Amino acid sequence: MPAQHGAASPGTELPGGATAPSTSPQDVGVATHCPYCALQCAQTLTPTPAGRLPLEVAGRDFPTNRGGLCQKGWTSAEVLRARDRVTVPMIRTADGGFREAGWSEALDLVAGRVAAIQAEHGRESIAVFGGGGLTNEKAYALGKFARVVLRTPYIDYNGRFCMSSAAAASNRAFGMDRGLGFPLADLGGADAVLVLGSNMGVTMPPFVQHLAGARERGGLVVVDPRETVTARLASGDQGVHLAPVPGTDMVVLLALTHVVLAEGLADLDYLAARTSGLGDVRRSVAAWWPERAEAVCGIPAEELRRTARLLADASPSRGGRGAYVLTGRGMEQMSQGTACVTAAINLALCLGLVGRPGSGFGPVTGQGNGQGGREHGQKSDQLPGYRMITDAAARAHVAEVWGVDPEILPGPGVPAVRLLDSLGREGGPRALLVHGSNVVVSAPNADAVIESLRRLDLLVVCDLVPSETALMADVILPVTQWAEEEGTMTNLEGRIIRRRRAVDAPGEARSELWILGELARRLGVEGGFPEDPATVFAELARASAGGTADYSGVTYVRLDAGEELHWPVPSETRHGAAHPGTPRVFLERFATPDGRARMIPVSHHAPADDVRANATTYLVTGRVLQHYQSGAQTRRVDELNSAQPEPFVEVHPLLADRRALTEGEEAILSTARGEAIATVRLTEAIRPDTVFMPFHWAGAGSANRLTNDVTDPVSGMPEFKVTAVSIAPARVPAAAVLKGASVA
Amino acid sequence: MNVVVIGNGMVGSRFVDELVASDPEARVTVLGKESHLPYNRVLLSSVVAGRTSADSLAMATTPSDRVRILTGVAAVDIDREAQTVTDAHGERHPYDRLVLATGSQARIPSIQGVATDRGLLPGVSVLKDLDDAHGIVTALPKARRAVVLGAGVLGLEVATGLAARGLAVTLVHHSERLMERQLGDAASRIATGSLQRLGVKVITETSVAHVLDRRGVLSAVTLTDGSQVLTDLLVMCAGTIPEATLARRAGLPCDRGILVGADLASPADPRVFAIGDCAQPPEGGSGLVAQGWEQASRLVSLWAADAGAAPHTDRAADAGAQDELDVTNVVRVKALGLDVVTMGLSGKFEHGERELRAVRMADPAIGRFVEVVVSHGLLVGATVVGDKQCASELSAMYTRMLPVPADPAHLIVRPLAGVARPAAASAADMADNHTVCQCNSVPKGRIAAAVADGCASVDDVARATRAGTGCGDCRSLVGDIIRSCGAAPDAEPADKVPALAGK
Repeated sequence: MPAQHGAASPGTELPGGATAPSTSPQDVGVATHCPYCALQCAQTLTPTPAGRLPLEVAGRDFPTNRGGLCQKGWTSAEVLRARDRVTVPMIRTADGGFREAGWSEALDLVAGRVAAIQAEHGRESIAVFGGGGLTNEKAYALGKFARVVLRTPYIDYNGRFCMSSAAAASNRAFGMDRGLGFPLADLGGADAVLVLGSNMGVTMPPFVQHLAGARERGGLVVVDPRETVTARLASGDQGVHLAPVPGTDMVVLLALTHVVLAEGLADLDYLAARTSGLGDVRRSVAAWWPERAEAVCGIPAEELRRTARLLADASPSRGGRGAYVLTGRGMEQMSQGTACVTAAINLALCLGLVGRPGSGFGPVTGQGNGQGGREHGQKSDQLPGYRMITDAAARAHVAEVWGVDPEILPGPGVPAVRLLDSLGREGGPRALLVHGSNVVVSAPNADAVIESLRRLDLLVVCDLVPSETALMADVILPVTQWAEEEGTMTNLEGRIIRRRRAVDAPGEARSELWILGELARRLGVEGGFPEDPATVFAELARASAGGTADYSGVTYVRLDAGEELHWPVPSETRHGAAHPGTPRVFLERFATPDGRARMIPVSHHAPADDVRANATTYLVTGRVLQHYQSGAQTRRVDELNSAQPEPFVEVHPLLADRRALTEGEEAILSTARGEAIATVRLTEAIRPDTVFMPFHWAGAGSANRLTNDVTDPVSGMPEFKVTAVSIAPARVPAAAVLKGASVA
Repeated sequence: MNVVVIGNGMVGSRFVDELVASDPEARVTVLGKESHLPYNRVLLSSVVAGRTSADSLAMATTPSDRVRILTGVAAVDIDREAQTVTDAHGERHPYDRLVLATGSQARIPSIQGVATDRGLLPGVSVLKDLDDAHGIVTALPKARRAVVLGAGVLGLEVATGLAARGLAVTLVHHSERLMERQLGDAASRIATGSLQRLGVKVITETSVAHVLDRRGVLSAVTLTDGSQVLTDLLVMCAGTIPEATLARRAGLPCDRGILVGADLASPADPRVFAIGDCAQPPEGGSGLVAQGWEQASRLVSLWAADAGAAPHTDRAADAGAQDELDVTNVVRVKALGLDVVTMGLSGKFEHGERELRAVRMADPAIGRFVEVVVSHGLLVGATVVGDKQCASELSAMYTRMLPVPADPAHLIVRPLAGVARPAAASAADMADNHTVCQCNSVPKGRIAAAVADGCASVDDVARATRAGTGCGDCRSLVGDIIRSCGAAPDAEPADKVPALAGK
């Protein structure tokens, strides 16, 4: 039964062969991909007209998921028929509720208010907030809408909270950010995989199959303050788990790099031929000898040395089968996130891994279209094709495709946290259009975000369900999702894949592509916003031509024929054949002007909100398997909700002992920003100086009421992943009250 | 503002970097006696041990057109009246502020025959700079035996490093305890045992009286107890002396080092400052680079605050204000096979007025000793021998001043009984509510029920329950459960996720 790819034992063959379009019986039904994360597991959707749900979901063999799906994927059809699905436009009423409306009324209202606000306060008074879950076509159309119709610089998106640090670091080191610069299946052949701050065992379970080779050879290294599901994959003789103090991942990396250089384990030939800046990096890591690092990160010096040698032994220059360095949000969502990723890149370069078959570096993208979403113009400073909006040539090219004068294109806006903070303030935007994002739950310092939204004159939210953000809107526009729409997504490997429609959307839900076209027309821009995704994609391809993320050689026809296309895919042909795409990047040169990777020295600083006398514990946040991001979708699936029904906080028994916390009882957590309440779960799988909270819930249990919105100076990434917190029982124990004892 | 910094070592160069970043008006002249750019002196013993290559010692400095660095140029005179420093080439450098970061020099004990007209007798060395390290490494190929004098941190590192290189090493120490400033009797005894296991012969309460030479090259040493030890190398690790010569000559008050106040300025001249090993602040100099680096940052912050800029909030300085704890004094021996870490109160310390709880565990058979000292819920000292994990956790806790567990004994002994680890139960023993497939939240009970309903293979179970259809890691366990339910699973590779689309 296993098809071609599923049968391949990871690591036993050099991966990367193209998948022929499968004709096996399992592909009866619609071949598409999961609605959730960036692994974009392949699914087959079989319509079931008579069933409770409109279709049935099954895993489909594909090089990334090899047929596997997690519980979220298996149950994804439930979201199509969420009980409170928004199926008609909703307009806020005077009494604070909503009433149903027709499309023309709702669109007239939105366009009228937008035009009026712009007339009074200028074009910059409207802002747009996008999402990393939107298809490439929608992300592209949204960026174009902001620049051409609204002509506002103020657009950014929730990918700022995910990938911006990784993207900034890759761009400055390599001249390009392709996520994983290699097919995922390549991991299987490596002797070692270093995973920093990613818990893919929970967030994208089928990924774990690709770690089997490294585990067999004892080479899985997981760096995480918690003993996560992923960290446990490295248990025994399968690898190493390093549990640093939160916020010190960079120190681990600097010390590993120190050892590689000090012990002569670096690939000096590679460094000489393919990089610049080694001297500066060598001098910068001289200050991080393992014994010094130990006192900062809490990992024994010899453990750091042993890990560095394990990675070096796996690297090609020392005869290994290859090694990979993978980063995740755990180390990127820091006010030094870009520098953290740069430190990871420097280590990978010292080991000679990047741009070599069988080895590599890459951030593990999180959101479904987190890769494509950051390439086509949703970012405050970018135009389609990963072009900079400040680059005159890029402006001219894109303006030509859009049929406008480059002069009318606005300049760069501001990154998400600053954008949200500026809403409704003097000189800030007065209206916000939100697409594919639930910022009330997913943005840091959530209480302040709610205040920001309240300051707006107009909030318009396009959503499937009445998310916490939609419930604050003046107008909610119902949109299609996943199995109800056509489009493309770009997965964590930079592979462009097709999302296909299997069922009709309920009620009057429409695609954002249609909505944007209707709003454009009402705002005086005729044409340029077609509803047909294939037409939008063809334009996107032209707009991206010659850019960093060049999609110009990609067509729906090629994708539908089963071609595996990783960008860049220029439109040029080779020997009469179309460009085959670029599964592995940088094999010959980096995308920098001189073709060399730039090594940039970085230095460590403590978290912005570090532990202190009245907040002596670190808070880290993350995800659980059953929920996705803000939970707007997964909290509406009974099976997922019953498995993870409520917010919780993981606490080590030693900390619980000191703070009088009890398993199953509620604890109150406080930071400089706010308070949250969550049920205590005791576990030894966490450092005693650290507590963990998942961030999928709104209200009293919302972890992001606690998180810090201080941002990275380069990427604008907020410091979600570490803050000082104090924790106490939420209720005063009855016994203490009776005795009149004070409760610390 | 013109600033002259004398000393281009780890502390002086760090200070210059931070000053230039913080103060756009600062123009700095650095006089460095050594011909090398700043390098990591802490790692010299690792170079001797062959664990670090000498070319990775150079440290980062940020180039700036406001900084003039003169390497290989010593300062020879300070004229405080004229506010100038004269260098060895006769050039005079005017200053508004002068920072002395002259470091320390190795103490050379009075040993007969150790010095000749041309310096130390060949074969005899200290380990204070890169040239010393090169000298020792160059001598190694012809050396079979070594005597290390002094069992402080550096002595232990050199002794174990040379032993690891195959030399027969004798470690001679004047006190009855190794690292007598940091270790008590029990910890010292256990560390001595570890050294002996590494092949280092330890002789305490003794010193070197004479060195003997054959044709002008070291051949043996005579100890104060009268015994003689044949040796090819003598490395003297007998402590350091703050380098205060220039300061003394300039009339600045000095004791062991250059006296400075909490503001790091000389009490005699508000324009002259001292940081790092050459300085003697009110709390005393520890000789640790962490203290010097903290002083460098603090001095930059103090100057910025003077200038009216927002004061840079420095954690260590804040910490000092709220508590007397000096979190920089973590002492860590860098030696393979000898793990000794101390911090704060350690060894023989006076309890004084403080309310202290000291909890210790001694486990000599495996070379382990841990003592923690707790005051008012904070870790104020620790001594750890032979327990890497414990040492790294305690130092991370100490440097952040994190509160300790209710019972300080939990700092030493882990894990706390309380929650059972998810035991790796066998398939048969596993409770029905035990989650087998994490990816799909499938408990054992559902799998057993599926088997009872006729599922005979891992794939059958997967179809019925979705167990094993995510990451696939539980598929062998599902096979075990099928077997434990009495059915033999159909032969199949159990560790791969199949494409499950086809039903």
